[in-house]
Amino acid sequence: MKEPAIVLKDLSKSFGSVHAVQNLSLTIAPGTIFGFLGANGAGKTTTIRMLCGLTRPTGGTAAIARHDVWKDRQFVRTQFGYVAQRFSIYRDLTVVENLRFFGGACRVPRSELEKRIENLLRLSDLEAKRDTEAGSLSGGMRQLLALACALVHDPPLLFLDEPTSGLDPVHRQQIWNLLYDLSNQGKTIFVTTHYMDEAERCTEVGFLHNGRLLAKDSPRTLKSNFRTRLLEIDVEPLMPGLVRVRTVPGILGVSLRSGSLRIYAPEPEKLIESWRERWPFPDLKLLEERWVEPDMEDVFTAYSQGYEQLLKKSTT
Amino acid sequence: MKWPSFGAIASVAYKEFLHIYRDKRVLLLLLILPPLFTLLFGHAFETTEIGGVPALLINRDSTPRTERFLAIISKNKTFRWRKEPPEFNRESDLLGNHVQASLVIPAGWSDSINSGDPKPLPFYLDGSDTNTASALEGSVQLSLAEFQSKERDLIVETLPEEVIELGKKLPVDIRKQFVSLMTAWSADSKLLYNPKSRFIDYVVPGIIGLILQLLTVTLMACTIARERESGTLYQLMVTSLQRGEIVIGKILPYLAVSICLIVVINLVTWLHFHVPFYQPPVLALICLLFLLCSLGLGLLISAFSRTQTQAIQFSVFFLLPVFVLSGAFAPLEQLPQTIRYISELFPLTHFCRAFRLVNMYHAAPPFYLADLIVLFAGAIITFLGAAFLLKRIEQ
Repeated sequence: MKEPAIVLKDLSKSFGSVHAVQNLSLTIAPGTIFGFLGANGAGKTTTIRMLCGLTRPTGGTAAIARHDVWKDRQFVRTQFGYVAQRFSIYRDLTVVENLRFFGGACRVPRSELEKRIENLLRLSDLEAKRDTEAGSLSGGMRQLLALACALVHDPPLLFLDEPTSGLDPVHRQQIWNLLYDLSNQGKTIFVTTHYMDEAERCTEVGFLHNGRLLAKDSPRTLKSNFRTRLLEIDVEPLMPGLVRVRTVPGILGVSLRSGSLRIYAPEPEKLIESWRERWPFPDLKLLEERWVEPDMEDVFTAYSQGYEQLLKKSTT
Repeated sequence: MKWPSFGAIASVAYKEFLHIYRDKRVLLLLLILPPLFTLLFGHAFETTEIGGVPALLINRDSTPRTERFLAIISKNKTFRWRKEPPEFNRESDLLGNHVQASLVIPAGWSDSINSGDPKPLPFYLDGSDTNTASALEGSVQLSLAEFQSKERDLIVETLPEEVIELGKKLPVDIRKQFVSLMTAWSADSKLLYNPKSRFIDYVVPGIIGLILQLLTVTLMACTIARERESGTLYQLMVTSLQRGEIVIGKILPYLAVSICLIVVINLVTWLHFHVPFYQPPVLALICLLFLLCSLGLGLLISAFSRTQTQAIQFSVFFLLPVFVLSGAFAPLEQLPQTIRYISELFPLTHFCRAFRLVNMYHAAPPFYLADLIVLFAGAIITFLGAAFLLKRIEQ
């Protein structure tokens, strides 16, 4: 196996009595697209900022390319590009001016810079907007520019903090296609996201909950961690159905998927058995029942809601 | 720690210059305000002489002697007299009469002079502004003294022959002393350092310093705070830029802009107010050190503030006491000793002092070396402080 791109050992960060990140240990292989999942406030951004050397860990260590991210941050910063959660590019500078500035700031040799900028403009599809001020770009283009600026010094590693939040599906797709290309070139990508369909696109996923890592594996393995298949039912009328079914004993939670109710229960077979015998809601109509394979959203729900009864014991 | 790279500094400086250039409103402000303020302040402080003060003059003693006094006092340029009839009795109501003083010649004044017990002239003064009141009083005293000496000459000319003869019997030295007593004694004033007695020459460094400090501190204070507000500061810090490169790169364009402003302000004062500049290279050095010190202060405020609003508030709170206590428009010597210690903390104080020592006193370097050292130390301390505060942001 190749040398890992990122190694975290018991990395922790506390702000006073608030433990934002606790004993986080991770190893990420080069070329991975690592999806870092977790609810708001789970500690994703704090972790990324520790890895970028923007905030000092209060415990444990993290290393990128075998250099400590805090002590050697001046070196480590040459190894990664960072796209922050907020749009952090100079709005009053044009696309090219931004790229040129970050190129200069990252000490890209002058002789190489212009060539690289042209490449990045083509890659991010911003050639037509090269002289537009960044502030007047659309949300998607801004994000593409932020990505291009993070790539200007051709780093082997890329940190992206919710790069697609608030974007339309077309631009999301465009950004992901770009990330695939970069991964294909051998770059390691560390991306946080809320979107579960995006988690499916990662080669590896980590779940962070209240500052702790609950699971880390490939999406396929995570989905196979479910002990059972999931029960989906169609009821009419839909919304009263959702509200009422949620309160049935033995059901941990219900989520609405394409007009069907997906039921999280430790023993769904028993449940549907009993319903076939006697449907407990006279004013609701049970139209259909089916079994479905869990997807990443189910995995996220199970981990973030603590539905441990649904998961195989072996994983933690 | 590596040495700052020229290319990296140039990148930051160019970016910072673009920020100034793209903000058309601030750019307009930078182009228009300095010459406009120079003209405005220059004319406001061109002269300190008080003249044309509206005042009432009431004569209740119609005699040839009072007429002679009226002729003299009417020529006094300090006042613009409005004569009221003798029966006018609201002479103490200055506000109601829209005047700042009123002078009354009481009935029987001439007689009281004749009888050897001269009555004083009631003189009502607006004492709200102490400077004006004492100036007006002095001016009236001057007119009275002129009148008195003319009256004395009249009496001496009309003295009877036998009195003169009698006088001649006095010993010569006593007689000579009498002659001396009869003329007004005077000091032979020789004005040094500002022979034309032009206040504008004194106040020029105050004007330059005020405008520059206002613009440099407020503009500079916003630079880091703006990056913090927009989130770009973190983006800046994950690049390979070192803190020193960021600090120097941010200062450079503002330094260039301020130097242009100094040139503009000095051109206006030179061409329009005809203020002479002595030893321009030395004055330029003083200006440069002052600029560095002001920019450093702005940077310090900037690194300290979380938002641009805060940065502006801090700047205003800093600039306000500076304007009052730095001796820009009035001599520091008027302030109590304790306050003067505080004044010494402001770069503007040292700038004004050094500038005046060179431009008005034509002083040799040892006289203003201390001020230059203070300004230089201020620049270094503020730069280091800003770099230190930037380091704090990382943690």
